[in-house]
Amino acid sequence: MVSITIDGTTLRVLEGKNVLECALDNDIYIPHLCHHKDLTPLGSCRMCIVEVDGEENPVPSCTLKAKEGLVIHTNTEKVQDLRRLALELLLTGHPEDCSTCPEYGHCELQMLIQYIGPKTGRLKMRNKGFEVNTKNPLIEQDMNRCILCGRCVRACHKLRGVGAIDYQKREDLEVYTGTVKNTLLKDADCRFCQACVEVCPTGTLRDKLMLAHPEKRKEEVVVPCRTACPAHTDIPRYIRFIKEGKYDEAAAVIREKLSFPKTLGYICTHACELECKRNCLNEAMSIRNLKRYAAEHDSGSYWKGKGKQLPDSGKKVCVVGAGPAGLTAAYYLRKQGHDVTVKEALPTAGGMLSYGIPSYRLPRELVQGEIQVFKDQGVKIETNSPVDKPVDLLKDYDAVLLAIGNHQGVRLPMPGSDLPGVLLNIDFLRKAAMGEETGLGKRVIVLGGGNVAFDCARTAKRLGAEEIHVACLEARDKMTSDEEEITQAQEEGIQVHPAQTFEAITGEDHVTGVDFMNVESFSFDENRRAIIKKEEGSEHHIDADTVIFATGQRCTLSPDAGLETGRANSVAVKDLTEDKSTSVEGVFAAGDCIYGTKSVVMAIESGREAASQIDRYLGGDGDIFEVLAPVETPSQWIGKEPGFADRKREEPEIDPAEKRQDNFNLFDHGLCDEAACREAGRCLQCDLRLGISKPRVWGDYAREV
Amino acid sequence: MSAFDWNKVEVSGLSDYGLFSGKIADRLKEVKEASQAKEICPRVLCGLNNADRDHAYLDILKQDPAAVIDGILACAEALGAKETELYLPENESELAESLKGSLEEKGIALKTGIIDVREHADDFIIHIAGAADLASLLGGELPDGRFFKANGEIKRLDPSTPLKEVLDLSDAKAIWNGYTYLTLEEAEEVTVGDCPTGTALPVKKTQCIVEETKKALQEDRKISCGKCVFCREGLIQLEYEQNEITQGRGKTEFEDYAEEIGAAMHSQTLCSIGQKSGDAALSAFAKFSDEYDQHIKKNNCPAGVCTAFSHIYIDPMTCTGCGDCLDVCPVDAILGKPRYIHMIEDLDCTRCGKCLDVCEEDAIVRASGKLPKLPQRLVKVGKFKRH
Repeated sequence: MVSITIDGTTLRVLEGKNVLECALDNDIYIPHLCHHKDLTPLGSCRMCIVEVDGEENPVPSCTLKAKEGLVIHTNTEKVQDLRRLALELLLTGHPEDCSTCPEYGHCELQMLIQYIGPKTGRLKMRNKGFEVNTKNPLIEQDMNRCILCGRCVRACHKLRGVGAIDYQKREDLEVYTGTVKNTLLKDADCRFCQACVEVCPTGTLRDKLMLAHPEKRKEEVVVPCRTACPAHTDIPRYIRFIKEGKYDEAAAVIREKLSFPKTLGYICTHACELECKRNCLNEAMSIRNLKRYAAEHDSGSYWKGKGKQLPDSGKKVCVVGAGPAGLTAAYYLRKQGHDVTVKEALPTAGGMLSYGIPSYRLPRELVQGEIQVFKDQGVKIETNSPVDKPVDLLKDYDAVLLAIGNHQGVRLPMPGSDLPGVLLNIDFLRKAAMGEETGLGKRVIVLGGGNVAFDCARTAKRLGAEEIHVACLEARDKMTSDEEEITQAQEEGIQVHPAQTFEAITGEDHVTGVDFMNVESFSFDENRRAIIKKEEGSEHHIDADTVIFATGQRCTLSPDAGLETGRANSVAVKDLTEDKSTSVEGVFAAGDCIYGTKSVVMAIESGREAASQIDRYLGGDGDIFEVLAPVETPSQWIGKEPGFADRKREEPEIDPAEKRQDNFNLFDHGLCDEAACREAGRCLQCDLRLGISKPRVWGDYAREV
Repeated sequence: MSAFDWNKVEVSGLSDYGLFSGKIADRLKEVKEASQAKEICPRVLCGLNNADRDHAYLDILKQDPAAVIDGILACAEALGAKETELYLPENESELAESLKGSLEEKGIALKTGIIDVREHADDFIIHIAGAADLASLLGGELPDGRFFKANGEIKRLDPSTPLKEVLDLSDAKAIWNGYTYLTLEEAEEVTVGDCPTGTALPVKKTQCIVEETKKALQEDRKISCGKCVFCREGLIQLEYEQNEITQGRGKTEFEDYAEEIGAAMHSQTLCSIGQKSGDAALSAFAKFSDEYDQHIKKNNCPAGVCTAFSHIYIDPMTCTGCGDCLDVCPVDAILGKPRYIHMIEDLDCTRCGKCLDVCEEDAIVRASGKLPKLPQRLVKVGKFKRH
């Protein structure tokens, strides 16, 4: 440590540390522009100059190293004059109107101008005349506002180790930063980490997505995968672990938020992939398959027998329904120390995981394996135990959670909907799952266009149906089912008919087929009512002996359960996310039964929220947060990878249709080892830029000089 | 290649060339100690000063590249350096081509452009001429004198030789020593050793100082890397000023701004380009204030170069309307008909003077300052009224 004196104040600082940092860290503001805490000092902007006793001329304090007895003055007249001149010179090439710049209000240059107060009007102003470069995805460059601080170049070369951009000179000798010969960023091997945007002090380098969504918080736009996931799993973090081959750590990150990692790795509807920024370059990250890979290669070293387990609280909770929402809530309530019993009406736990999603997509043993984790934690599960009067449970339990899902298939009111041969989605899939007789014939029409409809169709195929049609109201591109479901179903010989209205189910004492008409247009009005325009003269008929309704599900709550219901017979709660208490005190509800049929991951998050709220109701602190994975600060250095932007998405190994279509065996074998590593390497690591130090401006400092 | 003899180099007091002409032995010791303290391995870089646009010293590489190479390797040996680099300025591709083979053989990397002083703050930099002299010294005998290029030839001269003995100053109004202008009075005292680029050029009376300064600044902008504010933006302002003055739009404040900017460039830039390139404007303003006065206040270019001030016109009292000038004008700037007074369109005229040469009546005049009254439309010969 050495002593240095800044404007009369003596400080003890590390020898060799740059004087600017010494000042800033001791709450003394010295103006600076090209300096950035995470970057090597450049000394080019000359804002941080100071006078040093014993030196003739002012020197930049960002490159001045502290040594014993250094005496510096930050605001002498000489320094002020030079600073003002430097700023004046910078402004000669900078547009005069701040108000049209997206950085207005956050611009470091603007704040510097306020602080230094340069002269204007003396020197020759010029318009640099650059066209705003919008040709690249994610990053927009407006070199008219560039002040050549060089932070972007240093961030790209030294911080990230990529080097896609550098100082360039236009033909008329105007200097700017960009790619060599103005190639597209991807051809300069840019990794789109957006560190350059993060460090740019002015409105030169901009995040296109942030510009398009000024109403969203920065974190939401910058790491959209994490935001889109209902459970906000830390996706970039676990992908990073997978790339490093640290599968246990990756699985631990997943487990911090999700109670069914393997299940989700097989069947999650991956809202994250839809928002993934990699979509702007080529294909989204294959996040679900990566999660599956990590979960399947996890030895449990970071969570088995570890993690939170509070001492017994003496409180008892009963969860009705052993689906993903109920089991998740049960697991976390147990970890908070409560005595939890789950009552499940069906013979095995799992809910839709065991009785809805077919086993060729989600193997039964896998689900039971994940449920075993909850049992090992101490959750008691009673199967074959239906509950008619959930409110009565309050006699024996301190709190009750209803997580009964939507197990009542919707039968559309239309002619012939009651005929023998008409089946409902839920019943059909449940019987198939239990190996019972389903009533399936040979020629099947499934009405509906969602994932459940395809589950029904492909299950029918495997049960021996010969001709299978799926018909739905939506146009092909508006169908709610996953693209891969539709494609795989068609490969298995299933015919898909989008944009159809269901006119009537024909037949006298048994189904003989369905009458359809083509839809010309389909929309919803302000009251969410459907407006359907049919094509004139397009009536047609498809023969069948079985019709399966896959047109929605409702909650099975009976009116004499004593609970208020909401829209479509859902269980009414005070707030879907913040307050899951029902009309009866002590009874809570979560999952599909409160908000309609959504997804497994949403049910898991709903279960977590319910556990937190019930814990608080029972006198706990409601904090179910736990840390399982090792906390490490990721390295900001990522390195150059030629052709990074064009690397294609890795695809899982999938059995061909002929092999898979007549049995219920798992046919999607996931990513192989090399593919998983390569895929993890495609990630843009959008979260890294949030770890870059924030700028420090004069308003942040107590003592300015 | 000779082994490194510290003693010999120290005793000889050999100093480097160019702007940073301290003793080579001292500088080598400095870098060696610093690199040992930091536990890093320094590199050896060899080149001209960044600001040197005369490239006179490159003739040493053309004549005796082996000497420069040996010098570089000697420094590497002294410092225990593993990487060596030779920097050639841009636009010297022929020279670069010719050296490629021998450099590769000796493991010296060939680089183009200026030396990035920030990247190489811990490395050892030696001038090309300094490396050659070092090699000669270690090889046995260092010849007398120092390198200097005059009349197109590089040779060794006593540094105290007055410039007026080596330069033909008959038509000159000033001397350019690579970075600054020197007046002829100053030139009485200036010697060969005062020229950091190894050469000097007379500025002829027929050259315009303002125009020459403008060109110098333009060339400096081409080689400037653009990182330092004062160099990058300062040069833009200085060049702009000189240009405005040549166009007849000069202002008296320009000199004040130039002084402010030039002074800042001296101390607030990192390499020789920023430190030196403002001196052209500073010395021009200071030493040739007459010429600037003429341009700014009197609308006149004494050398007759700045076309904004010089005009060529046809004397309407003398013109016979023969049309010879019209035929010879390369840009069709002359209007007229047979037996009508011909007129030159001033905006199109390039001041080439061809019309002047061809007029048999000597009716065409080159002049600056205020012009006499001239016809604005076709007037028959002899019918133009001056009053």
